[in-house]
Amino acid sequence: MNMLEYASPPASDLLSDLGRRIIGAEDADTLRENANLNGDSFSGKMSRLGSETAKWHALRHVLPKELALAVEHGDLYVHDLDQYALGTTNCIFIPFDRLLASGFNTGNGSVRTPQTIMSAMALVAIIFQSQQNSQYGGVSANKIDWDLAPYVKRSFRKHYRKGQRLFGEIASIEDEQLHLVSDEAKEKCPRAFAFACEETELETEQAAESLIHNLNTMSSRAGGQIPFTSLNYGLCTSAEGRLVSRSLLEATIRGLGNGETPVFPQHIFQCKQGINQSEGEPNYDLFRLAVTCSSRRMYPNFVNVDASFNLPYYQPEDPDTIIATMGCRTRTLADRFGRNRQSGKGNLSFNTINLVKLGIRYGICQGARAIADRAGFYTALESVMHNATDGLLHRYRIQMNQPAKASDFMMREGVWEGGEQLAPNEPVADLLKHGTLSLGFIGLAECMTALYGRHHGQDLHVHREALNIIRTMREFCDRMSEQHNLNITLFATPAEGLSGKFTKIDRERYGSIAGVNDREYYTNSFHIPVYHSLPAYRKIELEAPFHSLCNAGAISYVELDGNVRANTAAFQRIVQYALAQDIGYFSINHPIDRCPSCGYEGVIGEVCPGCEAHENHVHFQRLRRVTGYLTGDYKVRFNGAKQAEVRDRVKHR
Amino acid sequence: MNLYGYIPESVNEGPGLRAVLFISGCRHACPGCFSPGSWSFRAGEPFTEKRQQQILHEVTSHPLLEGVTLCGGDPFFSAAECASWVRQLRAARPDLTVWAYTGFVYEELITDPSRTELSRLCDVIIDGPYIAAERDVSLPFRGSRNQRIIDVGTTMADQTIVTMQLDAW
Repeated sequence: MNMLEYASPPASDLLSDLGRRIIGAEDADTLRENANLNGDSFSGKMSRLGSETAKWHALRHVLPKELALAVEHGDLYVHDLDQYALGTTNCIFIPFDRLLASGFNTGNGSVRTPQTIMSAMALVAIIFQSQQNSQYGGVSANKIDWDLAPYVKRSFRKHYRKGQRLFGEIASIEDEQLHLVSDEAKEKCPRAFAFACEETELETEQAAESLIHNLNTMSSRAGGQIPFTSLNYGLCTSAEGRLVSRSLLEATIRGLGNGETPVFPQHIFQCKQGINQSEGEPNYDLFRLAVTCSSRRMYPNFVNVDASFNLPYYQPEDPDTIIATMGCRTRTLADRFGRNRQSGKGNLSFNTINLVKLGIRYGICQGARAIADRAGFYTALESVMHNATDGLLHRYRIQMNQPAKASDFMMREGVWEGGEQLAPNEPVADLLKHGTLSLGFIGLAECMTALYGRHHGQDLHVHREALNIIRTMREFCDRMSEQHNLNITLFATPAEGLSGKFTKIDRERYGSIAGVNDREYYTNSFHIPVYHSLPAYRKIELEAPFHSLCNAGAISYVELDGNVRANTAAFQRIVQYALAQDIGYFSINHPIDRCPSCGYEGVIGEVCPGCEAHENHVHFQRLRRVTGYLTGDYKVRFNGAKQAEVRDRVKHR
Repeated sequence: MNLYGYIPESVNEGPGLRAVLFISGCRHACPGCFSPGSWSFRAGEPFTEKRQQQILHEVTSHPLLEGVTLCGGDPFFSAAECASWVRQLRAARPDLTVWAYTGFVYEELITDPSRTELSRLCDVIIDGPYIAAERDVSLPFRGSRNQRIIDVGTTMADQTIVTMQLDAW
């Protein structure tokens, strides 16, 4: 399909074609592009119609011609193309501490600062919900334990004062002395103190439980899409902060109404030696609880504060400098303009390069040459990267020109730092410069196979060359950052809507090539292919060196078969090995199947071990992970390419 | 001796990450056995010296293993050959633990000279036949309630059966 053919049909044809595919639900992949959106629902279809039309408009009228052609030809992919012309930005870390302390306005009403942990956690859900309509990507709390600790204290005070009245303990004591570990509060009014401790714990636990329920039930974007929410925590050692972390983990372990695994929020546990990594450290119990939780619910994921590329930013006195991620993997900690901290900024947009196509063009896989054309490859790579960067810059200019009122809550309330100082019609302009523009990539494994006949999990020479390619890309990003004075970063793309698209285009053009494009998908970022069998520790060792190069974020997974929940020792050892190898962000995938008849959760084959119901009679829910987030039953919500990838996943065991 | 299967990293046969060797051959024939294909002593591949050394190398150079678990079949029907392999493992990596599953009960093993040595080489033995009527899917690392997770060292020292209480930790 060339550009002319694509651009020529009149709009009415496009619309009737889209109408047939979306309204008539003929094209499952168009409907399921995003596993978090119910494409079969009315609102989902409405949203897809708008989105597909907006993409067509952007391609035809907005994108620079070079970029549009590259997208057409499958050289690169512009993520969230439907938002391109609007100038929407991607994702953000929310300064919950500030929003809660000062109160905020949702547009329909103003909200005062909360007086209890229960209302604070309710407001967290509301802030997530208000914010996620300002952008198209994820919303993340980068240090929710620190953010919420003050409200645990407020609850404690309230309960303590009530206890004093109830038990007639009238000793006078200052508000400042009232907290969970205050000796003075304990000595002066012991019964009120015990009462307040118990009530505060209960209240925090209930608040955490309702927060998790809220984040799974508020469908707010069109299509019943639930906001992509993430909670980072783990380093706050105050009694109040620890109670927040513990309550979130325990509520997640308990699960939703019927004990099922909550899909949102994504939990990310922040790991730091000296704080939560060994026996005797103040939050080690929380790390162990996080491991237990992850062995049952597939998260928390684990982010590595000690990683060589995260630790330099960490300042113990400022929790905003603790590395946090969007659930998917996005990392935005560093800023060339000095805001080297998490909240109040995020990623602006990213474009992903199809490495496989370059591999096919310059490799040995088509039989045209005996040795890969390395020079040709790097020249072509450089040219695609330039094209992708031009696209990012073009989009950035559109984003800068948007008035503050377009992203409404985000700017008005200063969720994006500095936005609160803008008038509604004022363009957001270079307030956005603290965010990141990212260049992503997909299919390093198939690229290496196309070039050399073997991928980087099979051959150490190929591994060295694979690292060289990614290092070249990182150096290019650093160069572009200097040249354009912007934060241009390298991203190990989470490839959901994308995972089958390039494959299809490349197969049409080059035919099916064994080991390269004969599957329905390309392997995510620099991952060793899910179909390649190797021990977990080798996968960790081979992927680790790529993490420091991908400064816009990366994740490594290992797949475990079997019932990990009964074996948290193995789980913990693997996680800590990954952290020790300087992996920045890590998680373990394992099957979570659920029998709706008896509620058994674990690994279910054809027959439920709990009640012996058979697959043919009962529909077992099979929860899997896609691009970092969990998704409900994968056979219903995954697109074709992602289902194929899940089928191919080899367990590392 | 034949090897019915080998899993380099498993989480299902004891705490921590473990390499699991399924030794072919079992005469217990428990009704409801999860792996009747392993009963024949000719099932699987011959566990040749070369294969033994290869697995030994993999296990001893693995940075994350807690140990090795012998499954079956029933390794105690090939006790002498298994003992020879486990001795080499012990010599190379004394820090690894050895677990074994058997359909015999522990008291039978230690009174049978042909099976004592392998018993003593194990840290833990999960003993007893699988009894379908006592099946319990909630039990960690075993199938029926009659099966015991025996701490071999303490049992030998105390001269009385000591079982392990296994929580997740």
